[in-house]
Amino acid sequence: MIENFNRFVLANTGTLLDGLWVTAYVCFWAFLLAIVLGLIACLIRMRLPYARVVAIGYIEFCRATPILVQLLWVNYVWPEVFGFPQTVTGAGVIALALQSSGYLAETFRSGFEGLPKGQREAALAVGMSRWRIVSRIEAPQVGLVVAPLVVNQLAVVVKSSTLVSIIAIPDLMYQGLKIVNQWYEPIEVLTTIALTYFALLFAISRIANYAYVYFQTKFGIASSR
Amino acid sequence: MFVALQNVFDPALFWEYRAVLLTGLLQNIIIFAESAVLAIFLAFIVGIASLSRHGPVRWTAVAYAEFFRNTPEYVLLVWVYFVLPLIIGTALGTKANLSPHVAAVIGLGVAYSGFLSETVRAGLRSVSYGQTESALSLGMSGFTALRRIVLPQAVRRMLPEAVNQLVSLFKSTTIVSLIAVQDIMYQVSMISVAEMRPVPLYTGAALLYCIVIIVATQLFQRLTERWRRRGWA
Amino acid sequence: MDGDRPIIRVKDLRKSFGSVEVLRGITIDVSPGSVLSIIGASGSGKSTFLRCLNYLERPTSGDIFVDGEAIGPSIAPNGQRKSGASPRDIARIRSKLGMVFQQFNLWPHMTVLGNVIEALIQVKHMRRREAVEIGQQFLAKVNLLNKKDEYPAKLSGGQQQRVAIARALAMQPKVMLFDEATSSLDPELTGEVLEVMRDLAREGMTMLVVTHEMGFARDASDRIIFLHDGKVEEDGTAAQVFSAPASERCQRFISSALS
Repeated sequence: MIENFNRFVLANTGTLLDGLWVTAYVCFWAFLLAIVLGLIACLIRMRLPYARVVAIGYIEFCRATPILVQLLWVNYVWPEVFGFPQTVTGAGVIALALQSSGYLAETFRSGFEGLPKGQREAALAVGMSRWRIVSRIEAPQVGLVVAPLVVNQLAVVVKSSTLVSIIAIPDLMYQGLKIVNQWYEPIEVLTTIALTYFALLFAISRIANYAYVYFQTKFGIASSR
Repeated sequence: MFVALQNVFDPALFWEYRAVLLTGLLQNIIIFAESAVLAIFLAFIVGIASLSRHGPVRWTAVAYAEFFRNTPEYVLLVWVYFVLPLIIGTALGTKANLSPHVAAVIGLGVAYSGFLSETVRAGLRSVSYGQTESALSLGMSGFTALRRIVLPQAVRRMLPEAVNQLVSLFKSTTIVSLIAVQDIMYQVSMISVAEMRPVPLYTGAALLYCIVIIVATQLFQRLTERWRRRGWA
Repeated sequence: MDGDRPIIRVKDLRKSFGSVEVLRGITIDVSPGSVLSIIGASGSGKSTFLRCLNYLERPTSGDIFVDGEAIGPSIAPNGQRKSGASPRDIARIRSKLGMVFQQFNLWPHMTVLGNVIEALIQVKHMRRREAVEIGQQFLAKVNLLNKKDEYPAKLSGGQQQRVAIARALAMQPKVMLFDEATSSLDPELTGEVLEVMRDLAREGMTMLVVTHEMGFARDASDRIIFLHDGKVEEDGTAAQVFSAPASERCQRFISSALS
């Protein structure tokens, strides 16, 4: 088995690392986009009375459809109907972002709604402008409260990113499966990939935990967890 | 414009292939049910073990939960399908084979048992220890106290979160199409290849899932509300 | 009625939680039919002592005998592990002791009657019909028979505690242990519970009562012990302890508790 390990894993470290890089790249952009879309959907839902229904529809759709279905839909349907995305990577990023944006929108909403009204009132009483209130009083507090759940979505993005191999995005999973199909010796390669993903996700959850504890003790803010 | 719409969403096409699609959906439901049973079974074992007095038992349970919560389902699925038969084969000295269906059930069941074990654990911990103490003080064994006093209360508290997990599980059954289980997504792919019209089919699939999941979620939310009002959860 | 043999014997009971020693060597014998009140400041070890008796807390060392049987195992001061009761024995001995908790600990998913008969069915393996009969008897004794089909959540604190007492009594224990049974109750509800306890005392039940209710301690107990810092500082009849305690600390405790 060690011999196999050398033959299939170590020999292909380059390709596998390339795959890991693509995974990281896709996850990073998808996560960022998810936060942006989630925030927009959340704010539309909370503040714009007419567009509210659209936002809710969007959120429910993103949360109810399985990621695989979204991936295939964005990849095959969108170019025909909307004209973009033109690359599979783009499709992967958008699909992953869509999925998480739904959950994030709801997370942000519960964060905003959970903020004590007194915060806003105190700031208004001191004479702060609306923008300043949001940026310096509300957003940071909401941010601290929702942080664990947001980081959780990063983990979800990473886990779902394994599926982008289906639309030929050369991520870690894709490279691994390519090697397996080439040599048909799956044990070492797949186990290594599984452990790599585990290590990545475990690290994310540990960092999230430490950050949570750190901010808890520093600011003493009750969290939704 | 109407023609263009038909390019995007074509219920007629779905209707034409309804038999095949429904059989596919049935596969999803069956795999969901089987892996749910496996996941719940494992979750209770691991969840209860994670609260054990014995260190090693506890650590194994915690490690199990951490591992399966932090490993992507697709990776597990592929691993179970390709690697597990080889390992079993080497251990038993024969060549073993795992059908896609069985691999799917094992893979998904094990993957979700990690999350559900946390739900079980949280549910058990939410029952105050005084409940167990009063049972013990009357002469009940720990096991009887668990069975008659703690579990009934804990299960009711686990239900909302467990339902969320099971909805996720149902959504995840789509990935079994990737190891050649003939579920609905598999059929959709086949049809779109045959028809050369992927667009309406994938849109249709997305909408179908959307409706099914939303309906199911609403249903469960109503149910849990009713339970909560009756003072159960 | 007076003990030939003490129904509870405790010899040099010690209990530490980690590095904190809560019980520092308590030795006491309780005769059957007597009512022993245990008083003292918070943290003096009163509840811990009571909970060692039915092994809800594991003693660090020392011996406890309930009705002649050792409830253990325990560790002698020299570190030697002494064999004692097996888990099954412990469960059996526990069924001879009834405990009433400060937080009542009624089971919310069962009716009042359900709570009372559960142990009869599970521990004494009674048939349901028989258990129901006995259960109703004891519910009547605490004046709550009319609530037998209600769920605990619908009852007041005093009512819940009385059900808890009925539940413990239904097992017909030899000794009843009360762990601050009225401390969680609103003042106007303590009366109904104390009355039940006084009735029990009058009927000759052996009772160990950890309490802050000085009135009950003075009027209803045969014997009072004052615990301080894990040791028995004062031990005597109600008259002795209340009017002429030897320990000054006890004197101060009682006067501040009564004011």
